[in-house]
Amino acid sequence: MKFDPKIEGVAERIRPKRASNGGTSVIEAVQDLGLFIVIAIGAIVLGVLSPVFFTRLNIENLFFSSTIIAVMGIGESFVILVAGIDLSVGAVLALSSVLSVGLVNDYGVPAPVAALVALGVGALIGLINGLNVTLTKIPALIATLAMMSVTRGLAFIYSGGQNLAPVPDFYVQIQAARLFGVPVIILFTLALGVVAHFVLARTRFGRSIYATGGNPVAARLAGIRTSRVIFLAYTISGALAALGGLMITARLEAGAATAGEGVELTVISAVVIGGVSLFGGEGKIGGVLLGVLLLGLVQNAINLLNVPPNYDYVVSGLVIAVAAALDVYRRSYLEAGLRRRANIVKSEPRK
Amino acid sequence: MSAVTGTNIGRIGQGEVGAVLVADRVSKAFPGVLALNDVSFEARLGEVNALVGENGAGKSTLIKLMAGFYAPDRGEIQVDGAPLRPDPASAHEAGIATIHQDHHLIPSMTVAENLLLGRWPARFGMISRAEMMRQAESALSHVAPNVSLRKLARQLSPAERQLVEIARAIAEESRVLVMDEPTTSLSTREVDALFETVALLRSRGMAIVFVSHWLEEVFAIADRITVLRDGRLVGSRPAAELDRDAVIRMMVGRNVEQVTTQSVTPGPVVLKVENLTRAGVFDHVSFEVRAGEIVTLAGLVGAGRSEVVNAIFGADLYDSGAVTVEGVALPRGDPVAAMEASIGYIPEDRHRQALVARLSVRSNATLAVLEAVSPHGLINRKAEDRILKNTVSNLGVRMASPNWPVSTLSGGNQQKIVIGRWLARAPKLLILDEPTKGVDVGAKAEISEIVVGLASEGHAILLVSSELPEVLALSDRVLVMRSGRIAGELDRASLNAERVMTLATTG
Repeated sequence: MKFDPKIEGVAERIRPKRASNGGTSVIEAVQDLGLFIVIAIGAIVLGVLSPVFFTRLNIENLFFSSTIIAVMGIGESFVILVAGIDLSVGAVLALSSVLSVGLVNDYGVPAPVAALVALGVGALIGLINGLNVTLTKIPALIATLAMMSVTRGLAFIYSGGQNLAPVPDFYVQIQAARLFGVPVIILFTLALGVVAHFVLARTRFGRSIYATGGNPVAARLAGIRTSRVIFLAYTISGALAALGGLMITARLEAGAATAGEGVELTVISAVVIGGVSLFGGEGKIGGVLLGVLLLGLVQNAINLLNVPPNYDYVVSGLVIAVAAALDVYRRSYLEAGLRRRANIVKSEPRK
Repeated sequence: MSAVTGTNIGRIGQGEVGAVLVADRVSKAFPGVLALNDVSFEARLGEVNALVGENGAGKSTLIKLMAGFYAPDRGEIQVDGAPLRPDPASAHEAGIATIHQDHHLIPSMTVAENLLLGRWPARFGMISRAEMMRQAESALSHVAPNVSLRKLARQLSPAERQLVEIARAIAEESRVLVMDEPTTSLSTREVDALFETVALLRSRGMAIVFVSHWLEEVFAIADRITVLRDGRLVGSRPAAELDRDAVIRMMVGRNVEQVTTQSVTPGPVVLKVENLTRAGVFDHVSFEVRAGEIVTLAGLVGAGRSEVVNAIFGADLYDSGAVTVEGVALPRGDPVAAMEASIGYIPEDRHRQALVARLSVRSNATLAVLEAVSPHGLINRKAEDRILKNTVSNLGVRMASPNWPVSTLSGGNQQKIVIGRWLARAPKLLILDEPTKGVDVGAKAEISEIVVGLASEGHAILLVSSELPEVLALSDRVLVMRSGRIAGELDRASLNAERVMTLATTG
């Protein structure tokens, strides 16, 4: 196709590539670094206040205890990225927990199979959430709130309200396994984060997630099957919440219907602190993992500094609020910078 | 409208001519950009001053200075000779009302509540309903006597919302009314009504600043025309001393020729629409579009044109009728099927329907060709860059970096990214709904040229346009819609502005 625009010269429409790309990546780096700096400062302060902090055992414990929230947070990120919300993750965790023990103890199902069934049930619950949101068009908050109640109830019914024990050795062994001296669970969580990042950043599905969350109308009119994208996101969240259920079962050494009550709020906090917009379409898995780490650090600080247990909730809440406020401030600052630089380009003399 | 006495309007200014709002040699820099460079501007009582210029010329920065959003770096904004404190509340108190492009009404509140927003008459903290209705009635009666005070703002048409905002300015006893592109979403008849209101306010002594991209409107209403270019004042002269070409020369610094289509012999039928009907929206709409032909749906805003093309593409449903592309029937409500049948669709509202603002320019440029750039589901950056490069060089896109959010581009460049997204699919039929809406004069001409170029290459084009000059210049055939029906068809030989308007309003 050839045009001969008389109004503006066609040449020089793209500026030198290196300069602009370099500029963007610096901004992106600072954006991602912000949370990292907060965590680093927090760690240093904590290291000064408590000699225990920088011990190998404590650091490992910090990471290890963050893995469940991290796995669930990765799943929740997919849902929040499509401008949804999944409140049922804590309940799915509980149902997965009781199923993974009960199926083995009551029906003699091999533990790996029971684990797969639990994951499948989690995915199914996620899929139902997705269908409720896309087909019946129930608002996500209500649909998953209802599902949270139903699922938690199923966990209680199945377990009869009892903690189910003993936990199959299979789970405990995986939890205790180490590779290069590092707990396998930590390595697995990091790997899951890398995979999720790759899916979101480099695949058609990932791009469809961002487009659907960023502007569902535009995405649909560009040929993206937005409903399919949305229910896949919920399915992923359900499956990863169930995975969290297997992990907590190993940690508690019991299948517990009461496990993870209220954990959905911690998960959502971590995702949002990590920079995923509640309006959808924006955010990265790297940020989410840092958000999880920050919450883990706060919990670690509360333990190390012997904060009285009754103050626990207040301290956590304040930290979440401060971190979120800092993040909003930092982002609006960076965005203004980006807009200014875009204006420079727009106002460059024509020709 | 003539029986206006003893009202808010009657009290302001009393027709005296004087500069009430003055920008005195203001400059405003954002780091690295001089958005306004030594610009002076006056809003005089009883005068309509039209502020024109291409996107990026500094119009919005000047408006924001006058509305108190920013403080000037150098120079001063003065109201009645006193400097304006740079915050929006002070500007309001000084009697400056600004109607922004995005409307500032609260959708869930009634017209009356919106009119007195934040200043509801109250006794002991309880809103006095009777008093509120009385005050609202007195403000609204001059500009929109037919709008019910009890209606919710979200039930209003764009034109009514505009009028309510003007009425709010009256209720606040403003002396300066700044209107930023107030006619963008209005039909011709509504524009006429708006201009009547503006003329009334002017005759009552209000100072009006009117920003528009459409020069016909500027000449219809302005007493004075002020042109900005690249942050500088090019000139401010009485409208009577200027004509359209002179203003365009001032705006772009060179002559602009109107693009016209060359007649081509149309090829085979690409799109066939038969008896398309949706109750209350459009009724038995039938037409064909052939390869190489530009067919335009003309008519007033609200005639059902966008709804028809929405239904054709599958963005919306229809009750009965049929859409076939090259003899193959399209299912209802399935954009993917329409795309597979080789239809491309550039919707009317690009922010709501086409762009994902936070995604990069590159991702937006390939959004309709995701499958082609992601073999096996993995996005291939090189394939994306190839498509982006084609769009940038063929359509003349100006941008800083493909990695930046698409929202950092100007309106015209955003529209080109959307057009390029569809051209990458090489569609047989391209539907363009108001493709030059909200883009500057230069980009407008470029987009018109793109459309003509596509038709000459054999693409079938279905255009929806409310701009008469565009309709006349580009169309091979014009279907004029009125109240959901096709009121008449005009070919190139019989096409002229009067016939289009006659069909649109009375056909």
